[in-house]
Order: sequence, then C-alpha cells, then structure tokens
Amino acid sequence: MTRPYILAAALLSAAPLAAQPALTTPRDSALHALNRLAYGATPGLADRIAREGVLRWVDRQLAVTQADDPGLKGELAKFDLLSTGPDQLLRTYLEAQRDRRTDRRAAAADSAMAAMSPQERERRMSPEARELRGLLSQAPQLVVVRAVSSEHQLAEVMADFWSNHFNIFMGKNIARVYLPSYIEETIRPRILGRFEDLLVATARSPAMMVYLDNAQSIMPGAEPPRVGRQGARRRAAAMPALPQRRPTGLNENYARELMELHTLGVDGGYTQKDVTEVARILTGWSVARPAQGSGFVFNGWAHDQGAKTVLGVGFPAGGGEDEGRRLLRMLADHPSTAHYISGKLCARLVSDTPPDGCVDLAVAAWKRSGGEIREVLRVILHSPDFWAPAHRAAKVKSPLEFMVSAVRVVGGVPDSTPRLAGAVGRLGQPIYQHVAPNGYPEHEEDWVNSGALLNRMNVAMMLAGNRLPGVSVDLDRILPVTSDHAALVAAVDRLVTGGTMSARTRRVIQEQLAGVTDPVQARAFALGLAIGGPEFQRQ
Amino acid sequence: MRAGALGLVSFGLDPLFLSRAAYATCRPTVLPSNNRSLVCLFQRGAVDGLSMLVPHGEESYYRERPRIAIPRTAVVDLDGHFGLHPRLAPLKPFWDSGSLAVVPAVGSPDGTRSHFDAQDYMESGTPGVKSTTDGWANRYCQNAKEHTDTPFRAVAFGPQLPRIMAGTAPALAIDDLRTFGVGGRAVAGDRLTRAFEALYEGSATGLLATSAEESFEAIRMLKTANPSARSTEHGAEYPRGRLGDSLRQIAQLIKAGLGMEIAFADMGGWDTHVNQGNDQGQLALRLTELGQALAAFSTDLGERMRDVCVLTMSEFGRTVRENGTGGTDHGHGTAMLVLGGTVAGKQVAGRWPGLAQEARYEGRDVAVTTDFRDLFGEILTRHLGARDLSAVFPGYTPGKAPGVIR
Repeated sequence: MTRPYILAAALLSAAPLAAQPALTTPRDSALHALNRLAYGATPGLADRIAREGVLRWVDRQLAVTQADDPGLKGELAKFDLLSTGPDQLLRTYLEAQRDRRTDRRAAAADSAMAAMSPQERERRMSPEARELRGLLSQAPQLVVVRAVSSEHQLAEVMADFWSNHFNIFMGKNIARVYLPSYIEETIRPRILGRFEDLLVATARSPAMMVYLDNAQSIMPGAEPPRVGRQGARRRAAAMPALPQRRPTGLNENYARELMELHTLGVDGGYTQKDVTEVARILTGWSVARPAQGSGFVFNGWAHDQGAKTVLGVGFPAGGGEDEGRRLLRMLADHPSTAHYISGKLCARLVSDTPPDGCVDLAVAAWKRSGGEIREVLRVILHSPDFWAPAHRAAKVKSPLEFMVSAVRVVGGVPDSTPRLAGAVGRLGQPIYQHVAPNGYPEHEEDWVNSGALLNRMNVAMMLAGNRLPGVSVDLDRILPVTSDHAALVAAVDRLVTGGTMSARTRRVIQEQLAGVTDPVQARAFALGLAIGGPEFQRQ
Repeated sequence: MRAGALGLVSFGLDPLFLSRAAYATCRPTVLPSNNRSLVCLFQRGAVDGLSMLVPHGEESYYRERPRIAIPRTAVVDLDGHFGLHPRLAPLKPFWDSGSLAVVPAVGSPDGTRSHFDAQDYMESGTPGVKSTTDGWANRYCQNAKEHTDTPFRAVAFGPQLPRIMAGTAPALAIDDLRTFGVGGRAVAGDRLTRAFEALYEGSATGLLATSAEESFEAIRMLKTANPSARSTEHGAEYPRGRLGDSLRQIAQLIKAGLGMEIAFADMGGWDTHVNQGNDQGQLALRLTELGQALAAFSTDLGERMRDVCVLTMSEFGRTVRENGTGGTDHGHGTAMLVLGGTVAGKQVAGRWPGLAQEARYEGRDVAVTTDFRDLFGEILTRHLGARDLSAVFPGYTPGKAPGVIR
C-alpha cells in the first residue's frame, strides 16, 4: 500500500526523479494527465504543469466551480448563440416554421432540399430559417473552441462526457432548438456537482423530453382539459411546432433509457414491468407549448394517479409530480447507478477496460459522498491505476479528442465558423449528431477503421501546413526552420509527443525527410507525420 | 424515349443476365460464387411506398388520395393490381426480363414513427433494441468467414461509415474513389503514403496497426486496379447527383474485381409531408433520379449483374390518406425493390394486406406483412450464401422468406 504514496510524492515534486528510473518524471506524468483529463498539451504546458506539481494542477482542475474559463470571455463573445435566450431561439424557430407553412412554394422547396446544392438551399431559406441555422451551427463549434482554448480542461472533458452520457440528437424535430439551453443551462453548470441534480435537470429539460418522447407520454385515455373556442384556435396555431399527432397513451422510450443508459445500466436489475411503471410515474412530465416558452410543464391531467411499484419500492396512489422526483432520487442513489457510472468514468479516464479495483474505489467515493461527481473524479485521478504505466497511451483518441489535441499541440487558434466542428464530423464524430441515446462509444474498435485513419493523416498534413480550414497555426512560433533534419525531428518530438517518441518513429520520420531540401516543406512533412502517425493517435 | 433506349441496350447486351434457367436449380446446395455482391440503397426520410409501387387496382387508394394518387393511366402496370410510378419506367424492362421483384407491405415490427429510431433499427437489424452497437451488414461480415476478407469487402459511399456497416469487421467509408488515400501539397501523395505506411509498420500496435495495414492495402489495390478508370459501359447514363455518382463507383469496384461483397449508398429527400405531387412534382423528381440510377447501374454492369443484387430500403412508409397539405405523414409498411441476376423477378413478393380500413396498421397505415429481416435474411442466405443468420439478426426467429431470390 505504500506505492501510491511514493508515486504521489514523485508527482508533487518539481524535479525529475533521476535516481528512480522505474518511476516516470513529473513531465511524463504531466503529459499523461494532459492526455486524459485534458485535450492534450499545448506548447510549453507540460513543463509548466511539471513545475507546478502535477497533482496540484489536477486538484486545481477539480476545484473549478464554473465550467467556463473566464479567460475565454472574449472568444465566446463571438458566438451569438450564447447571448440568444432559449425563448428567443424558439421564437425564431416558430417564425421560420410559420413561413414554411404559409408559403406553399417554400414548403415544397424545403422538402426537395436534399436534391439541391447547399448554395441553392441557402438561397431558398427564409431569413428566420437562415438565422436559426446560423445560430444552431455554432453549438458544435463551441464544443471545439472551448475544448481547444479553455484552461478549465477537465470541465470541458466532463462537459463532453455528460452531454454524451445524456445524449441528445440535434436532428430530431424541435430538439435542436432546445439543445443550446440543454448544454448551457442543464449540463454545463452541473458537470462536477451531484449526479442527482444533473439527472433531475436532464429529466426536466425540454430537449430530453422531446428527444426521448416523454413529452407525449400520457395516461392512456387521458384527455386534455377542454378549452374555449378561442383557446382551441390559439392552440391549433401553436401546435404546428410540435408535429406529432395528439398523444394517446404511454410512451416508454424515456423510461427505458433513463434506467438502461442514464442510471442503472442495462444489467442494473430492472424488468420490463419496471420500465412501464417508471413511464406511468413520469406521465404528465412535458414541455410547454412552443408558443408559450421553452420550459418544463407538469400536466396533471395526463398523469397516472394510480399506485406503482418500481424495483420493489411502492409509490402510493395519488402521487403527482413529486413521485417523479422521488423516483429520480431513488435511481440516482441506487448501487447499480454508482457502479455503472463509475465504470464509465474509469473507461473514459483510465482504460477502455478499467481494472475492478479502480471502479471499486470510485464506487466507494460515490457512496461516501452521495454521488458528488467531483469526489468520484478526485479518487479516480489520485488512484494508482490512473497513473499506472500500463495505462499510459493505452487509449485511442476519439475523433474529437484527436482533432482538438492536434490543434492544441500546434498552438492553433480556431475561428468561430463551424468548419472545425465539421471536420470532426467528417472524421466520424459529428457533434450532437449521434442518433441513438447511447451516445458515442468509448472503445478503440469503434473509432479505428481504415478510412478514418486515412482521414486523420490528411487532417494532420493540412494542419501541419496551416491549411486546415477553420484554424490558424503560427508554425514559426512552434518549430524552427532548419535543414538539420535530426534537429527538426527532435523538435517535432518534443512538441508533439513531449519527447516520448520512440527511437524507431524518429528514425523513420528522418528517413522519410531524406531528399526534402526545402526546410519549410520538411517542417510541414515532419510535423504532419508526427500528428498523423500512430503515437499521436493514442493518449 | 430515354427509358426505352436504356431498356433496349440492356436487352441487347445481357444474354446471361437474362437467361435465368442456368441458375434456376440446385440452390442453395451450391455455394454462391465469391463474386456475389449486394448493393443496399437506403431511401432516408421514409419513402411513400404507395407512390413507388402503386396499388392501382385498389379503389380506396384513389379515394384516400384525391390529390396525390398516381392516375391509372400513368401507372406502369406490373400485374394488373400493382404498377410502378411512371418515373420508374426505366425499371420496367428489368421486370419484364425477370430480374426485378417488388415487395409491398415490408417494414419493421416496431411501430415507431420516428425517422431516427426506425433508421437505426433497420441498420442495426434489431428493431426495438437501441443498445445494439453494430450493424447487420457488419455482423454478416464478422460471421461469414468463407468469403475472402479484402479491404473492399464492405464499402459505404459517403463521408462516414453508416450504422449498417459499423462494427468490428473491416469496412470502408469512401467519399470518392479518386481521392481515397493520403495527399498533400508539400509532398506528393505516393511519397506521403509510403512515409505513413513506414511509420505505422514500425510503431503502431493492435487495431491501429491492422487498420493502417488495411488502408494501405486498399490504396495499393486501388492503384493497381484503378477502378476509377473503368468507363461506363453499354451506353449507360447515370443521373447527375450523389446517388448516380455512388452507383457508378460501386459498378467500378465490381468491375475491378476487388472482392466487394456489400456496398451501401443512400439518398435523402423522401420525407414528403407537403406537396408531394403525383406523377409530377417533388416525389416524382426523386423517383426519376432513383429509376435512372438503378437502370444505369444495371445497364452499365451488363452481364456482371448476374452476381449482383440491389436492394432498396427505407425506414417506414407513409400514411394511406393524404394529409391537409398535399403530402403524407409518417406511416408504417413501405415497399422495397430487389433487382439483379439472382432475383426471382417479375413478381410481387410477400403478402399484400390491402388498404381496407381494418387491414391497416392502427387504422391508418399500410400494415407490415414482411418483416424486413425476412427479406434481408433471404438475400444474405440465398444470394450471398450466409449459413447462419442467428448472429446477424440476434434474437430473431426467421419467418417466411418472401422468395425474392431464386
């Protein structure tokens, strides 16, 4: 049991432990931490963290109370989406919809859009539709910009983790309009807080209720209260925004995913009967009509007042909205939830197949803290398994991780156009476009395929030549222009892989440079090979 | 007329493709040749099966669709009850020659009317189960070991690997055959490819190593076989657009003999809620492209079509009754087309439930009488030679095969 302490001492000390070759240097540890609880190194960052003390830096990342880095304020101000409230976004959407409906010609054009060129499509859109599309296209780009530039790196990693755990597909009807507030108001303020709060917030979010259909789930046979003629007309005018027919009964979609994906896990011990009972408890949890704002509503008329039993726990008859709260608390507190989510966190941070011991430590912290995410992360990031040499470079980067780490490693500055997010999509991980509620996978076999690897190599070459659309790179700032190829490769190694490049890789790169006489070309070639090469695909 | 010309060309040059007798017996005891390939075309957005394959013999079809029904005089009649949309006329010669079968009332047992759920189910092959991580085409490749694995065994045209091909078996996503590979401005493509190959050979491990190997193998094979240089044959004319481009490249891969067993392409624009049109209009435009592309593909491949089966699919069909905006809403059963040399053509396969109110799904949509897995499964078994479908469609007990493959 002494090993972690020795390790901790090594991590805290600023000087390399030359006397103990079995242990890695603080700089190596800094690189590992940057690969896992951050999106990789930026020029000089590993050295600064090693000087500060790696665990001190880790604890500083854990102590963050606000997801957004205040230093990013100017950068984020370029995104109109962040200053557009959810109600305003909804109004723009409704206007765009109304135009679509009243203008028959535009409507016909809209359905035939798939056959048109993007330019043609753009031209035919109403101003509102164009405005909406422009605003919404900022959402994926915000992910990339924050991940690249924020100092609150762990917060960005966790924002990605939770928005993926509680995945929303932006393409489903009106869900795309609710998505920005889902990210900014539901997910981001709670990424390091109590799991239960996050769960409740997602359960009450319009985005989730539309995405997983709970907004339409009502007690079979329930009828909405009668409204006057005028009210009915007003409602009919507002309804087109929600194109579904009038709901007629229970929809189990959210109930199932709530247990299978959000809390207990597929083997968490629930039955089909439990799914139905959970759906009954959540009847009436719905979304305000779009014309009346973007909030949560509880429709008492749609709620099933009968008694229910979930996982053997009784919910007496006559319960209203509160029994849903009680249910979510119960699911958040369930041991299966602690185990399932701790396992997912360890898979993200430690290894695709994390050791049981690591998961057990996380579960213990979960139980001790009542599901405080920060405390669970603290235990994982301080665990011997996190730092074990066997787990270094043991994970393959997802397309988002690859793209962001590549931009960071060359000190690139992304712009506010959606181009970089689009490139992540072409690498195979379009942001907020994962259709199914399970979110993007965490395992290397899901990301590594031949076409995808070639795309990464091409992106690497473009970035190394400062030709990747959406990002600018000052190559002169990070690498020398030299005709000494050995020196060049050493500089590239230090920049891209923190000096950990294998001798073989260095030799191969140098061999490939033979005959390249133009030093600027050689620099782009060597840098592109290093970023597109196998070592940089790992973290 | 263009459609007729295409048909004639096809008739003139396809003696083997048209001679069905040679393939009529002995199957499936004879293992299909390793040259067999399946081309899947996904019509994303839920095609209106009732406009693609028109039940013109049914009064209620015209009653329910006063504005958008295809007039009887315009329908390309197939069997007196069903007919093709007039814009699919280029496919009629293939019906006549017995290489086109149509399947009405096909779809998913799951009742979802959500595009994304239904597409997901049709690609994962597990309706109702959202946790399936891979697609059925990939599971087929994982399990049918007797077929030679080449990097081109499963190829999807598009920037990303679609759900249907996701999984542990090798599968390629190709945007454009001509640009597949590594290229740079500072360094020539060949040199760059060699450099990356050397790098991955030396330093990659595990999946990174094997995938890189596959990539470079694919690049090499493309370079040698140079499928892009294969010209379109027999006067085939692919329509402009992504579908035509994809099918032309699929034909090139087949001609180049690169071992492609399953190819995939998709086309959008089928979600016709508003102003769908009848024999004219927006749906007619999409069907024009589909009909021309399929006919061009068959004509281009000529007698090579004897080893090819093309299958269209769509996540669900649309409402029987037209809606208030001259369109149709999300429904249930749809229609699929099966085209190729092994197809038991000139037949309407499966059971047609009819459009009578009581025969409809939930009183409004075409009922599903053929589970899509029975159709896909039959093609995998009898066309590609799959021996065991239990891993391809897990948890499914196959029902009656629609009998589309001889």
